[in-house]
Amino acid sequence: MKLALEMRSVSKRYPGTLAVDQVSLEVQAGEVHALVGENGAGKSTLMKMLAGSFDDYTGEIAINGQVVSLHTPALAKKHGVGMIYQELSLAKPISIAENLLIGRLPTKFGFLDKAKLRSETKYWLEQVGLGLNPDLPVEDISPHEAQLVEIAKVLASNPSILVMDEPTSALSREEVERLFSIIDGLKKKGMAVVYISHHLPEIDRVADRVTVMRDGKKVATKAMSETSRQEIVQMMVGTLKEETHNTAARTPGKEILRIENLSRWGFFHGLNLVGHAGEIVGICGLAGAGRSELARVLVGLDKKDAGKMLIDGREVNITSMAQALRVGIAYLTEDRKAEGLALRMTVGENALVGIIPRHSTAGVYFAKRGHSLLGRLMNELVVSPNDPGRMVGNLSGGNQQKVLLAKWMASEPRVLILDEPTRGVDIGAKMLIHDSIKKLADGGHCILLISSDLPELVGLADRVMIMRKGRFSREMPRSQCTEESVLMAAYEGGV
Amino acid sequence: MTTAKTKNSGTSLLAVIDKNRIYIIFAVVLLFMAFFAPKFLNPFNLTTITKTMAMTACVGIGFTIVMICGQLDLSIGTVITMSGIIGLGLKQFVGYELSVPLAIVAGSLIGLINGLLVTKAKINSFIVTLGTMTVLQGLIYFVTGGNSIALSTPDAFAVSDFLSWKIVPLITPRVIVTVVLVVVAQIILSRTRFGRSFYMVGGNKSTAWLAGINTDRTLIIAFVLSGTTAAIGGVLFAMESSAATLNLGTNSLMYVISAAIIGGTAMSGGKGGVIQTFVAILALEILYDGVILFGLGNEVKIFLAGLILALVVLYEAFAIYKHEKTVGQRPELVKELQK
Amino acid sequence: MEQTRVLRFGAFASFVNVFGVYLIALFFLLLGIALQALGLIQNFISLSNFLNILDNVSLLGIVAVGMAFVTYSGNYADLSVPTTMALTGIVAVEMLRYGFWPAVLAATTVGLLIGLINAVVVGKLKANPIIWTLAVNYVTLGVIRLVWANKQIYPETITDNKEAIGWFDGIFRQEVFSNLFGNPLLDIRLPMVFMVVLVILGQFVLTKTSFGAQLKMTGSAKKAARFSGINVDFVVGMAFVLAAVTAIVGGLAITSLSRTGAYYNGAGYDFRAVTAIVIGGMTLAGGRGSIIGVLGGVLVIGFINNIMTLIGIPTLSQDMIRGLIFIIVVGISAKSLRSLGRDDS
Repeated sequence: MKLALEMRSVSKRYPGTLAVDQVSLEVQAGEVHALVGENGAGKSTLMKMLAGSFDDYTGEIAINGQVVSLHTPALAKKHGVGMIYQELSLAKPISIAENLLIGRLPTKFGFLDKAKLRSETKYWLEQVGLGLNPDLPVEDISPHEAQLVEIAKVLASNPSILVMDEPTSALSREEVERLFSIIDGLKKKGMAVVYISHHLPEIDRVADRVTVMRDGKKVATKAMSETSRQEIVQMMVGTLKEETHNTAARTPGKEILRIENLSRWGFFHGLNLVGHAGEIVGICGLAGAGRSELARVLVGLDKKDAGKMLIDGREVNITSMAQALRVGIAYLTEDRKAEGLALRMTVGENALVGIIPRHSTAGVYFAKRGHSLLGRLMNELVVSPNDPGRMVGNLSGGNQQKVLLAKWMASEPRVLILDEPTRGVDIGAKMLIHDSIKKLADGGHCILLISSDLPELVGLADRVMIMRKGRFSREMPRSQCTEESVLMAAYEGGV
Repeated sequence: MTTAKTKNSGTSLLAVIDKNRIYIIFAVVLLFMAFFAPKFLNPFNLTTITKTMAMTACVGIGFTIVMICGQLDLSIGTVITMSGIIGLGLKQFVGYELSVPLAIVAGSLIGLINGLLVTKAKINSFIVTLGTMTVLQGLIYFVTGGNSIALSTPDAFAVSDFLSWKIVPLITPRVIVTVVLVVVAQIILSRTRFGRSFYMVGGNKSTAWLAGINTDRTLIIAFVLSGTTAAIGGVLFAMESSAATLNLGTNSLMYVISAAIIGGTAMSGGKGGVIQTFVAILALEILYDGVILFGLGNEVKIFLAGLILALVVLYEAFAIYKHEKTVGQRPELVKELQK
Repeated sequence: MEQTRVLRFGAFASFVNVFGVYLIALFFLLLGIALQALGLIQNFISLSNFLNILDNVSLLGIVAVGMAFVTYSGNYADLSVPTTMALTGIVAVEMLRYGFWPAVLAATTVGLLIGLINAVVVGKLKANPIIWTLAVNYVTLGVIRLVWANKQIYPETITDNKEAIGWFDGIFRQEVFSNLFGNPLLDIRLPMVFMVVLVILGQFVLTKTSFGAQLKMTGSAKKAARFSGINVDFVVGMAFVLAAVTAIVGGLAITSLSRTGAYYNGAGYDFRAVTAIVIGGMTLAGGRGSIIGVLGGVLVIGFINNIMTLIGIPTLSQDMIRGLIFIIVVGISAKSLRSLGRDDS
């Protein structure tokens, strides 16, 4: 088979670190090549290099046997590299059509050809199963529709090499399946696909070969048929760490949280749920099922339209997050960067921001009062570097997530809602976070765990509520929960 | 798909009204004044309107493009004044044939400096243009010593007469120049790749960059256009009145910002159009003209200008607030409620 | 161990933040000294000139302290400050007929009303702060001109109450310390005291109160602040109220200075305050800088103005140099922030 892409000993240096160190990578035409590694292993940097984001990489890149220089995005595009980013790269006020065909809008006699713009957009949207009006601005569509538009946009650029960086993080199971069948089709047409993901089952499903990176270096490239998840994980972390879950059953204490018939029109209707002290309640559902929306209402970020909410048997009407914190409900958001942390502020400031009122007397804030608590939390969560004065933005994703968790542990909530607490986090950090969650539950907190990570749910939750189309469709006790059974229950009938 | 259907029907009457709100506002204002304002339809009055709006309309072109890019140009007011001073001040030495191009080039140059500082030095455009505005203000006082320039030579009056000559009622050469510039700019903006790139840069800069659009160059061009159209507007006005005062552009900034916002160009970038700004300026001008015709004073005009801008900002804030409340709703649950 | 590190870093960061602008101030101080040594200017190095500099920037300093809270909150600037100043001054003069304190009370009420409107519309409804406050500025201007036409009003024509007029005159002129060191030229007047007190108060509020801590989070990352249980609507709104409060003080002082209530009192204070704030190390991105730094920015402007005046550059032409220095300072600080990996605008 001919090589679609060959990277020969490429390196990229950021001020202070060598992010990619002498990496060589070969991808054949008609191959799906998985690229895995913990956060900070250099895989995203490697792919940005391919997308033309750097003008100062060293080493050689050959596409279809020809050495090319990929020093600008335009050059990368010209050479047929298509990149689907983890973060959406759509312009919100602009129409879907123009987003899709950005950089190569069809023209006739130098003027835009609007009819062609529309028909071409319609065609590509159909490819990813969307029937949206091409003239709609992107800000009017939902996040997972936007993710699919993003994929259509790259497909439309007709690349010979397709790079996907965590393309499924915002998609529902159904849409993931559709994406995989698209990838299968592209493979048959001879396209080379580089697939970056943390999700090993996905890689099992879709990849032909896998390259593992660690600390900016390549560890190995293996055919999927000749390796195992176990081995891949081992190569990623260096030593074999087994991801075990404490399955010792907790005995739930008295009831803390009760919601009755809770509704927010158009998002979720008629939800009933009870949470006890020392219990982890898993909430599972596909993207868009209303999980985060429920959490937002519980902490007062959005207004409920109907129903009741009780804490310790007393009805509460929560209208602001400050109030939710006062009655003891905290919410760890799924969007760490936008909603969780102030990246330009320090670890200490971020971790203590939720409990400013507690460390204040008559409006005067005594930050010092929180220092011992801060030190304890940072040690417990092994935040690295262990320096409260460090800017959060300079930490790795895993450590940022630990700081976010520390923020809510500091507030000592009675009910802690965790929304995808380990999304995009490396395995080491993930295990630490899982340990902390278990400790919190053992300490008598009530945890609502929203997660799409099935092993995490099954491993941690005492019972799992299945959420479908804005309703709880089923409640499964721990004894019934396996990855397969939960998945089946959530997937039943689609989103 | 169900989502697709609901989205398509989402382009409802309200959405259409909202999208074309500036034309509706214009029509309402025009009809109201035509029916109720005394002597509004008098050709002399109408010509006054077109003549007064010509300068701001011209300045609005580049300013709108800068706003579409998600930036702000506070320096346009002083650029207007500067171009008037250069165009008239240098006339006695080099004649209009050289002084006018010099005035316009000076405007472009200010735009270039703004653009370079925003893109290369990576300073916020609010700060950059505040800085160039201040520098220019000082420079203008330094050069003129605080005195306005008025020309009273026969050839200056000839040019002035020509610029205000009514080819047909309402239409003077200066109005023609302005309208042609507006139309050309609008066609480029909405109908060419080059024009669309301004929207892309304003809508999402990194996306535009990744798509191979030279974002720095696009931004610089936007600022150059802003400086250029401000200079053209200023110098033409000064030539027509044969005078360049030091407060020629003082009120333009507020006026043009209002018009752009009322026309639907968003401060956040990626939205709007030159033609909308133009229509908004016309509507405002008609309104102000009517205020005077009703015998009300300048102070009512100022009050109304602020009030209209305030109402539009309020309306937009409210619209976004409502939009964010419903975005992401599940169509089948909404349908259930409607039963 | 951890605790000391927090403290050390915090102290270091604020040191750098404050230090930057005082270095610039020092530069202009040295420039002034050098120019005097070369005989190009006279009387720069004297206690009375330094007091004079402080006196000249005291109004700007007062207004900048409040506006800095708006900048710090990530909302750029409050462009309604000029007419807030004008209106409070006019209302005060108009109300002097009922006595001094009723006048101050009425002026404060009117100023706070504008601040509250800004607070609700920008804080709660999230309107664009620049456009909104610009609109408010013009509405207020319109109101002033509708009610008082283009007239200027003078305390003497409003009332015969000499005592009230005297008190009003005193807002700007009252000497708090006079004849320092027995030198009749060394006086410290009320506005300078206001400025110093407001700077100290402002710095305290910004760095030592729970409101300040919440404001920092709000300015740095508004969404994250909201998701941390901070009432960001209130915090942002409060910043605009504080801007109005200092605009009230500034408005009373400037009206007292000119003994005239007029719509143009306060014109230009919006952009001049922004200049001082940004030179003082605050960035428009929000959450960075300090009030002590803003005072530094005000002092820099004071030095520049003073040196240019001593050289003999006409007041209106001085903008040229001020603007240039502004751009250069901002350019350098933007570049140094970037090289530190703290990229923002």
